[in-house]
Amino acid sequence: MSEKTENLVKVTIDGKEILAPGKLSTIQALWHAGYPRVKSVGCLEGVCGSCRIMVRRAGSTDVTMELGCQTLIEEGMEVSFLVFPTPSHHTYELGEIRNSWEVQAHFSRIFPEADHCRNCHGCTVSCPKGIQVERGVELAVKGRFREAGELFVECVMCNFCMTACPEFIAPNHVGIFARRVTAYFHIRPSNLINRLEKLRRGELQIRDQ
Amino acid sequence: MAMQGIPYSEALRNYSVKTFREPAGEVQEPEQLLRSFHPDYYPGTTVTLRVGVNRGDACHHQLAEVLQADARIDEADLAGAAIRETDVLVIGGGGAGCAAALVAARAGARVILTTKLRLGDSNTVMAEGGIQASIEKDDTPQMHLDDTLRAGHYRSDRRLVARMVADGPDVIRWLIQQGMQFDLDKYGDILLRRAGGTSANRVAYYRDYTGLEMMRVLRESVTNSNIEVLDYSPAVELLSNEEGHCGGAVISSLKDYSYTLVKAKAVIVATGGIGRMHINGFPTSNHFGATGDGLVLAYRLGAGLRDLDSFQYHPSGLTWPQHLAGTLITEGVRSAGAYILNGQGERFVDELETRDLVSSAILRECAEGRGVEVGDDIRGVWLDTPGLELRNPGTLAARFPKLIQLGKRSGIDLYHQPLLIYPTLHYQNGGVVIDENGCSSVPRLYCVGEVSGGIHGKNRIMGNSLLEIISFGRRAGAHAAEKSHRRGHKKVSIEHVSNLRRELTLAEMPMEKQGPALFPECAKFENDSDYDGLRRNRKGRP
Ligand SMILES: Cc1cc2nc3c(=O)[nH]c(=O)nc-3n(C[C@H](O)[C@H](O)[C@H](O)COP(=O)(O)OP(=O)(O)OC[C@H]3O[C@@H](n4cnc5c(N)ncnc54)[C@H](O)[C@@H]3O)c2cc1C
Ligand code: SF4
Ligand code: SF4
Ligand code: FES
Repeated sequence: MSEKTENLVKVTIDGKEILAPGKLSTIQALWHAGYPRVKSVGCLEGVCGSCRIMVRRAGSTDVTMELGCQTLIEEGMEVSFLVFPTPSHHTYELGEIRNSWEVQAHFSRIFPEADHCRNCHGCTVSCPKGIQVERGVELAVKGRFREAGELFVECVMCNFCMTACPEFIAPNHVGIFARRVTAYFHIRPSNLINRLEKLRRGELQIRDQ
Repeated sequence: MAMQGIPYSEALRNYSVKTFREPAGEVQEPEQLLRSFHPDYYPGTTVTLRVGVNRGDACHHQLAEVLQADARIDEADLAGAAIRETDVLVIGGGGAGCAAALVAARAGARVILTTKLRLGDSNTVMAEGGIQASIEKDDTPQMHLDDTLRAGHYRSDRRLVARMVADGPDVIRWLIQQGMQFDLDKYGDILLRRAGGTSANRVAYYRDYTGLEMMRVLRESVTNSNIEVLDYSPAVELLSNEEGHCGGAVISSLKDYSYTLVKAKAVIVATGGIGRMHINGFPTSNHFGATGDGLVLAYRLGAGLRDLDSFQYHPSGLTWPQHLAGTLITEGVRSAGAYILNGQGERFVDELETRDLVSSAILRECAEGRGVEVGDDIRGVWLDTPGLELRNPGTLAARFPKLIQLGKRSGIDLYHQPLLIYPTLHYQNGGVVIDENGCSSVPRLYCVGEVSGGIHGKNRIMGNSLLEIISFGRRAGAHAAEKSHRRGHKKVSIEHVSNLRRELTLAEMPMEKQGPALFPECAKFENDSDYDGLRRNRKGRP
């Protein structure tokens, strides 16, 4: 099972022609060929969203958005790395929303563009995690934050959907907002609250000597 | 060298799915098992430090090499560097750094957070298993303390552990208040599972994405606050004032290839672990930036370190296929009831023993010829996922979506074929000595999270690290902010680097290597011409 017996694959990464074993990811292939690569690398496990690449496969004109650590190289593939995901222009503090009756009003103020979604599917098509991003935005606009947030369980905040959105909605931040307000206003576990109360009353002392 | 194991194809032919397998029974002579097989005890792994506060202490030789390396910069590099000022400078954008920054900023301090790559690229985002907090009615903080001390072989700082376990429930509340979700039962109570080597169900979680959920919420909180974030900006040196107190740091930018001096009234180092140093040649579960930088920075300024010879090897790292070697399979799979089998199909250790014992037992099986051999020096033992699914149908799909993805990428159908595992370098048990506010022995220098030492003793239990980073991150953030009304430093410099060079020369140590490492060797940062601007003065050095 040594390298010699494995098929080598030819790919172009950031303009460099590389010959490497086909089981390697695009990042591993660059390293394998001796090229330095520091930026756009992170967890190497598909959860940090740093390794954003654009990919064109042999015989196809389609360009797809993918995660470089999760995409294995294929014969004739062209890859280019994107760097520095840009932050969103929306800002908010959960603390300024006084109670859960006001969430929707605050949402419209923080994300005014969400209402203008043109259902172009750009966000959903670009998502490397297969998230129904557009649907998430639609649910959030209707105030169905819990449902909207559930769609974003696997979101790694790679920002592809944000780049794709012609209305500057920042759909991933809409998704995280929906998740955060759900926790902030609706997670009230009695086992936790009970324990905090016991600690407050000093009933659970620890021997620290 | 280890004995030849059972060839992969033969072992696979011998494997069959079974509902029952004889348990392995208790580990006989655990101390002996560790001494004979745990990598911390490999002959020749430790050396004695010759330079710095810990001179005379045992230290792993790879770590010693970076602790006693030359600095990356000298005065000439700082000529013309921009100078910034702030109250609190946080170095490292993982869970510990974000928690510290948030608390300090909310207490009114001006905060700059600088991080090596993208904010949130960290070990934190990768955590799967969950976070410990004694919440269940038959559990207590005292039991949490006892379990932590026992698992760490009674080598922890008891006071630190006492603070951490007492903080546990409030840490969970704080996280929920930042907008983090946890898995709940149908009444809305937090679900808890059991970590190996503990006496109660105490690990709260969100699917097998606990770290991802925590990190994206903290990142969102930070970017929506008045904290100034400098990303792609690794710190390369700390700054000291006339009295040797910490006075800020030198930050390098991977965006514009320049250095900036950030003067700060307090510095909180939260740079995480060392997995990418590949201690003892092991593969690792850690993220790309885990190169032990914080240890080097703090040590040079005179901060004391501890347990520099103690590392955690997680029992279930994937070992085949080779390009995924080191990838973590969460302990949750063993908690759920998966067995570990040798090449003969036998269980050989209680799967829920502490991690150091389970890993040592795996290394023993492999060394004594009962492992599975793939060739090219790759060997391991089986993680019996088909058996788990047979006993508890539906478990894999419901609880381990990330594991199923991993099976797909490995080309292995984990419903029918076991995975080959081998210990993977996972965690740095030791680190910078701190007190209950995260203060190191150098005034105005705080160290929190994986970079600090003392909490886990010689072995850490699942879920205690995520608790530690938030507990001590918050403590340090609050303490540093309280002190931020102090006057700023008059003069800061990298004078301590000259002292280091003098000591290295006196001790006749080699000076070729420079630290902190910043990136793993495979990435070839040192040869990357993009960053020549950061190395202008290298060659001219005496
Ligand atoms: C795969 C995996 C699974 C895990 N699962 C669990 C679990 O289930 N439960 C649990 O409790 N623990 C778990 N752990 C351990 C736990 O995740 C980590 O110990 C913890 O998250 C460390 O947090 P931290 O903030 O100290 O460091 P990190 O989260 O690693 O953050 C450190 C940050 O500092 C930055 N940095 C490093 N050097 C520099 C520098 N020179 N300048 C600027 N920035 C720098 C890094 O880039 C990074 O952003 C797991 C670890 C791994 C790797
Ligand atoms: S929802 Fe957007 S940010 Fe999240 S993973 Fe998909 S494309 Fe990336
Ligand atoms: S890309 Fe923007 S406009 Fe298009 S569907 Fe998605 S959210 Fe709507
Ligand atoms: S490196 Fe983190 S998602 Fe690819």
